[in-house]
Amino acid sequence: MPLVGNIRDFGLSDFLYLVDRGYKTGCLHLSRADEMASLYFDKGKLITATRKDDNVPVTELLVRKGKLTPVQAAQATQVHQSQNGVTLSQVLLNLELIGRDELQRVLQQHIEEAVYALFSWNEGEFRFEQGQRPDPTAPIMPTPLAVEHLIMEGVRRIDEWGRIRDRIPSTDMVVKFIEQPVERTKGINLAADEWRVFARINGKDTLAEIARKTGMSEFEVCRIVYGFLTAGLVDVIRKPAPVPMLATGRPLAEAPRVKKSLVTRIINRIRGM
Amino acid sequence: MQTVKMVISGAVNAGKTEFIKTISEIEVVSTERPATDDTRLIKKETTVAMDFGRIAIGDDLVLHLFGTPGQKRFDFMWEILSEGMLGLVILVDSTRPETFRETNRIIDFFMSYRETPYVVAANKQDRPNAWSPEELRLALRLPSHIKVLPCMATDRESVKNVLLELLDVIMQRSED
Repeated sequence: MPLVGNIRDFGLSDFLYLVDRGYKTGCLHLSRADEMASLYFDKGKLITATRKDDNVPVTELLVRKGKLTPVQAAQATQVHQSQNGVTLSQVLLNLELIGRDELQRVLQQHIEEAVYALFSWNEGEFRFEQGQRPDPTAPIMPTPLAVEHLIMEGVRRIDEWGRIRDRIPSTDMVVKFIEQPVERTKGINLAADEWRVFARINGKDTLAEIARKTGMSEFEVCRIVYGFLTAGLVDVIRKPAPVPMLATGRPLAEAPRVKKSLVTRIINRIRGM
Repeated sequence: MQTVKMVISGAVNAGKTEFIKTISEIEVVSTERPATDDTRLIKKETTVAMDFGRIAIGDDLVLHLFGTPGQKRFDFMWEILSEGMLGLVILVDSTRPETFRETNRIIDFFMSYRETPYVVAANKQDRPNAWSPEELRLALRLPSHIKVLPCMATDRESVKNVLLELLDVIMQRSED
């Protein structure tokens, strides 16, 4: 069953996170007024993206960019039509009409730009069709793209507080790493300012404190941390309020400790209902 | 007579009232009344709306189920209801991603006060377009040790399963 919603409520970066962590394969269709885009994923990584106004075969795209001649494009298309289960991108590589690195570079640049433009959408319907594959002639990258990289770059283009505040409601919140952040950062290239903030994350300092220590504005720190957060590198938590203590030394707000025998009685009662 | 309390929370229309109705032994009490001085944080004009259900465990023990008001204007009730609770069920309408942020806000609220045992119930799993529990876990960014359970609040077995899973979490933290 497709996942449906509006990116006003569940942002593109949130969805990319879900696709990544859920190792999803399928297509995310986005639509807004007369604009439409489709992002195809394989096991959580982006393989291609198309927009309604620019939905062309990989050969046409490469001809347009001067990487292929029309004759070579026709040759590849002809060979592709005689083969089953192979993408046109793969045929181009098999025929050695373009190098793997070059094909990756050209397609990645094209696809990234298509995706980054979508980050500016404040609203738009989305529908994720599980298992849906792109047309074999689509500009499919030889090496699928990790979405953390897309999230970070997409978030760099966010210049409004509104979206950031949804996840970071206050600069009094504390930033902490989630499990193995170093592993997660492998696919991400951080800019200098992002490193400055990254290096200050210690699970104790608030966003306001990080801003003060780095000399950056609170907005800039929040925007950068929003990117880390969306890419799943960090978590943002409320600074724990001081817990009032009882005379016994037990925290007032601690959840009551119950006896196992009491819990067993409740379990047995509910089982029997 | 000893009473213990569980709290059922979630965004508006997540299915809290239905959840309690399905399992409660008494007619669920849904209240809407002027606030009293009992609740210091409440403004004079504020009204209180919540659900209340009850399950008798034995002659000397009763389980109370409190459904928190979903509307933001009743936030203040959450703190009051959470005092002394045994555990918490966070209900999510699996078909409405527009409520996920609010759900996160509710979880953040309860967890910022105390380490309460809780589970997340992915309600309305019988509806088309329902997000699966695993998808909800990712959407809500819940850690792997938090149980996200399929749920249909109108189905007694489903509600029982959610409560039993919560009790399992509570059991792990209980003392001999």
